[in-house]
Amino acid sequence: MKQIVWTLSIALMVVGIVIAQGPATKSPVQSPASQPGPQTVTPQAYPAEQIKAGELRFTSQCGFCHGRDAAGGETGPDLTRSKLVAEDVRGDKIGPLLRQGRPDQGMPSFNLSNTELGAIVAFVHDQKTKFEALGGGRRAVDPTDLATGNATAGQRYFNGAGGCSRCHFATGDLAGVATRYQGLALLQRMLYPSGGQRAPARPKVTVTLASGQTVVAPLAIEDEFTIVVLDPSGARPTYDKSKVKFQIDDPMSAHFDQLGKYTDADMHNVFAYLDTLK
Amino acid sequence: MSRNVRALLSFGIGIGLVALAQTVDPKSLLHPPADSWLTFHGNYSGQRHSSLSEITPENVGKLQQVWRFQTGQNQQIKASPILANGILYVTLPDNIWAVDARTAKELWHYQNPPNNAFHIGHRGAAVYKDTVYLTTPDCHLIALNAKDGKVKWDVVIADSNKGYWSTNAPLVVGNHVLVGVSGDFDNLPGQLKSVDADTGKTQWIFYSTPPPGAKEPNSGGATGGQMWTTGTYDPDLNLVYVGTGNPTPVLNGAVRPGNNPWTCSIVALNPDTGKLVWGFQASPHDTHDWDANEVPVLVDANFKGQPRKMLMQASRNGYFFVLDRTNGNSLLTTPFATVNWAKGVDAEGHPIPDPAKYPSKDGVLVAPNESGATNFRPPSFDPKTGLFIVSAQDGYGIYFFKSEHGAYGWAGADYAVAGKAFLRAIDYQTGKIVWNHPIGDGAGTAGVLTTDTGLTFSGDVTGNAMAFRTSDGATLWHENIGRMGNGPIVYELDGKQYIVVGGGGSLYAFTLP
Repeated sequence: MKQIVWTLSIALMVVGIVIAQGPATKSPVQSPASQPGPQTVTPQAYPAEQIKAGELRFTSQCGFCHGRDAAGGETGPDLTRSKLVAEDVRGDKIGPLLRQGRPDQGMPSFNLSNTELGAIVAFVHDQKTKFEALGGGRRAVDPTDLATGNATAGQRYFNGAGGCSRCHFATGDLAGVATRYQGLALLQRMLYPSGGQRAPARPKVTVTLASGQTVVAPLAIEDEFTIVVLDPSGARPTYDKSKVKFQIDDPMSAHFDQLGKYTDADMHNVFAYLDTLK
Repeated sequence: MSRNVRALLSFGIGIGLVALAQTVDPKSLLHPPADSWLTFHGNYSGQRHSSLSEITPENVGKLQQVWRFQTGQNQQIKASPILANGILYVTLPDNIWAVDARTAKELWHYQNPPNNAFHIGHRGAAVYKDTVYLTTPDCHLIALNAKDGKVKWDVVIADSNKGYWSTNAPLVVGNHVLVGVSGDFDNLPGQLKSVDADTGKTQWIFYSTPPPGAKEPNSGGATGGQMWTTGTYDPDLNLVYVGTGNPTPVLNGAVRPGNNPWTCSIVALNPDTGKLVWGFQASPHDTHDWDANEVPVLVDANFKGQPRKMLMQASRNGYFFVLDRTNGNSLLTTPFATVNWAKGVDAEGHPIPDPAKYPSKDGVLVAPNESGATNFRPPSFDPKTGLFIVSAQDGYGIYFFKSEHGAYGWAGADYAVAGKAFLRAIDYQTGKIVWNHPIGDGAGTAGVLTTDTGLTFSGDVTGNAMAFRTSDGATLWHENIGRMGNGPIVYELDGKQYIVVGGGGSLYAFTLP
């Protein structure tokens, strides 16, 4: 089954996953921590009072996950190295993200006034400016850190024991994948693609109604009791599981199962192989 | 039993119902009446098991919502409400509401001033006589008049400017208010403070890792071990049991050699002195943020034919522990979720960490992930079936550490990769999984409650509050209320059995029609 799992390029920015990107230099003399994150595209300045107000709100509401200094916390990425923050202009990208959240990534939505939102944006940009001056980042994982695998062994695993080639093709869906993703972002996509507006293919659900009619559609939402599918018309029909027969084919289940099979060497080798698919 | 606790208890018996009609007799915490839920766990055992029997597997399908209390805030309720004298006390960070338990009418609301400590959640309040206790993110313990929410006193329990914060639901034992804090982002000693319930004066402080300047040969230089969840108490042994948090620096273990006691441990303390009686490490030398703060559930029952006073914990590191709680000796250690980080279990029941799974520069794939095989969401023990029922996760994460990450605070990086959530029933005598009910992707957030009629209440990942048959995990009832973030509570008022759960920022009460 051919899955367009590697299609998105914008999604990761939206999710705000740390992409310690920069130019993909692999000079062994350069300290990884000195590799810069994405630079702010549109430099912005904010009044000191607004930054201070933003600090209060940021540290109390956002700091646990993203760090008091916005450079990464318990579960959330380093925002000072986030591509989304680098490309944000006065909240045009951060604002919608905060208000919608990323429930699938564990990020809640926040009901914020424009003033509150503006203060948070001011603080995050100010922190980014400060960290750019310092270089490096507390939670950075740099592409060079991950370059320990053997691409040949990885290719063998990909085509053999790993079973990756059952769904993926180096010259098909994965062509150029290492250009679209680098470093940690590529590793995360490899292990378990998730999230984003152009997310990995949704599970395919086949519903057989009491009438005998069969519906085949991408799955929108599933719980123990109902199935909601995406109808091509844009509708979201809901089926009561107790009243229909259904089958769900989830290509992601193979990714989950593989997590229990990889050795760390396998993981690094497959990563090294994918990293050659520029 | 200690003199202090004994004195208070007999004092409680002496003045009895007359003087305390509208207050909470500290003695009642030993045997909470059916019309109350007096501590985070409902009682001292942490079993979250109720003998109330109006709601049964046969009629649970008819449960109806009788009220909803909206806090009007974004944050998810993670607190177990306290019920005393017909009044529910429910908390969010910086906030506590007193609500009529019959009508959900707000009686009063106290709000702590804005502060910049972490507001990641709040586990609940505590009650004693006519006082309600609230911890705040900026590490104050505030005593409020239970009737009107007026501040009686306000003491600082730790310095939030250093990086401490608090989400803690205090545990009241006798006249001791035991209150813990959090603090993973700075290298801070783990501390549990006992505060005089009447005056707010500090009675003692237990440090799980050495306080600044202390000479202590065993900790290996580790800090951390915060006690941010609510413990349990055995009045006969006069021991309080508390889970301790992970060491700091969190992911950099090289700078803190050895097992790092008493981080990631269950500790037994004398509530009158704060002295350690015994400790058991669930995760020696943790490098994955797997604190052992999960509920230490106290059970008196047979273990392999012999009557035992036991302590059970399903720990964040994926292992289920059964201990003899008189001395901390291991009776059983077995995984209850997917784990790949240990080389086995030693003779004393401790998992042996595999150095190959320490965080590394190029990353290691580890099960469970940082959010753990379970977490603060409370489990339940059902005495009839002997099942320990826990919201579990089979998950994987990638863990990184390089020297550039340093030796302060987090000191590394880790990312959850994927997980699957289950309500899981463990046979406490063997560790065998008796049933396993999928509840969605990621990790669950709902706690668990069981009742004598063979019912289990919890919730799934997609926002359903649910009832299950305890014996086999079959679903008997559900209602989508938004994601549950707390443990359900149960009580009886006016002859009606109430089930109260938090969904999103609201509390919901259900009864039979």
